[in-house]
Amino acid sequence: MSTAPLRPVAARRATFTDNNDHSAECMFGVGAVRDAWLGHGLRAWPSDRTTAESAVETLYRRSGFREPEFVWVPSPPAGSDLIAVEGLATTLSFAGDGVACVSSRIATMLSESRRRMDTLIARGRSDWPNERRAIETARTQSPDDSARVGISPNAIIRAAVWDSLRTSLFDGVAAAIRTLMPAVVGGVTWYGQQEAHRVAFYDTYRRFGLARFRSDDVELLDLHTAVTGATGWWWAFDNVCVMAERPTALHTEPIPGRVHNERRLHHPDAPALEFEDGHLLFVHHGTIVPDWVVLEPTVERIARERNVEVRRCAIERIGWDTYIDEAGLALIDRADDPGNVGHTLQLYVISDGWGRSDHILLAVNGSPERDGRRRRYGIYVPTRISSALDAAAWTYGINGTDYARLVRRT
Amino acid sequence: MNSIMTLSDLTALTGLDVFDYLDQEVSVPVIDGMQAQGDLIVVPYSLVAEIVTPGPWTRSENVPLSGVVLLRSAAGGNPHSLVADEGMCMWSTPVNDPRRLALGILDTRVTAYLIHPEHGATGIAPGRYVIGRQRERGVGRFFERTHFVVD
Repeated sequence: MSTAPLRPVAARRATFTDNNDHSAECMFGVGAVRDAWLGHGLRAWPSDRTTAESAVETLYRRSGFREPEFVWVPSPPAGSDLIAVEGLATTLSFAGDGVACVSSRIATMLSESRRRMDTLIARGRSDWPNERRAIETARTQSPDDSARVGISPNAIIRAAVWDSLRTSLFDGVAAAIRTLMPAVVGGVTWYGQQEAHRVAFYDTYRRFGLARFRSDDVELLDLHTAVTGATGWWWAFDNVCVMAERPTALHTEPIPGRVHNERRLHHPDAPALEFEDGHLLFVHHGTIVPDWVVLEPTVERIARERNVEVRRCAIERIGWDTYIDEAGLALIDRADDPGNVGHTLQLYVISDGWGRSDHILLAVNGSPERDGRRRRYGIYVPTRISSALDAAAWTYGINGTDYARLVRRT
Repeated sequence: MNSIMTLSDLTALTGLDVFDYLDQEVSVPVIDGMQAQGDLIVVPYSLVAEIVTPGPWTRSENVPLSGVVLLRSAAGGNPHSLVADEGMCMWSTPVNDPRRLALGILDTRVTAYLIHPEHGATGIAPGRYVIGRQRERGVGRFFERTHFVVD
């Protein structure tokens, strides 16, 4: 229970370090702003076409171009197909007037604006001896914990907003959507909703009064904000702008061990990502898998699968104990499980048939499940380990002799 | 909190929930050695004194009766909470650990309890301990790397 009384919000200051009571409040706000942007990035809902078109038209005008004709497609892969069929990207080239096309003009305009805003932000930088180490520390703990030990707002916002959203959206969802498309589309691909980190970061500074940006940069930020909040991917060509709808389904789960609400695609028994035109992806805890892994995993199919990540996902679907029984894996070693009376640790070798092998420790959970049974689970360990006790010890970072002294495991 | 505790005593005292199917009336054992609760391990400090050390960022906080969350629930999975009589137990974090497994160092003058919705509760006898995470080897990469186990 917190004993600190709430302070009035109006008393907020531009730096978090001069008053520790304010810092926790500000930092709570940072998480809320980030989560609102995360919501935009993960939104599965038809685009707000009016808002998106109006913002993109303004970006065209500011780049010295006339408003384009808008063509809406149901998904990003449908957009790349259209671009290829219509030959929209063939007019682009690095030589000659490549840099004068509208997409590179818009890209330059926005990146120069960001650079100016970065300079302003850096001016208020704290005197932390090493900003990078501060960011790394800020990544591993909550914003208020970071504020409490005097880590600068810059490092906290970088970790809690930019890095978090980039991980969930740009490196997560957008990278997954990329796999539905050819490697090269032509022109600059804008990720729309999944570019939220680029706007959320500066939006945070603006909302908390931590930086005062130039008025033209504020206007560009507003335009970029509008596009990000309204639609999915888009491609700007001189006369035509191809706009893709947002997904119709998008399911995620928290990334384990992360503290800034980083999320990854996941759905246990349905596509994690789906577009109106039927483009879809099955994703198991962040790993893109073929549909059989989710819909009908079998020992035979696992044996034929070459990709170890995919095999692992499929094995987890049917359960390690079932898999080990049915696939007849070779037992290397077994030992009594210290601290878990009556149960054993078993070390298996699993060969994938292509000359590669892995060592898997099969252990029994220390506590019963709701139905009274105890779950068995498999943990990959380094192949140099050939004793079951050493394998269990390695998972906790200690040696086998010490692990044998474990008194209790629940 | 030094008398013999049951799970229901502990949950009543701290306000932390555990799943209803765990036996609420069995007394909670108090261990002065190494013990594991799911994906966490409590190791007497002497065993890892050469590996885990406090660093310049390390801060110590008093563990309140309402508990400190060691692995946050926002990170997915159920939280492991550390509770003890107020003012008798210190939790220091972050700490230096080349294995990158230690969550922090526990110094307690009374019995401290680790509570988890699925695993129930376990008592930690007075002393100094390192509480760390469990890891496994990552697969499918060009090089070996590890990641954390989450239960």
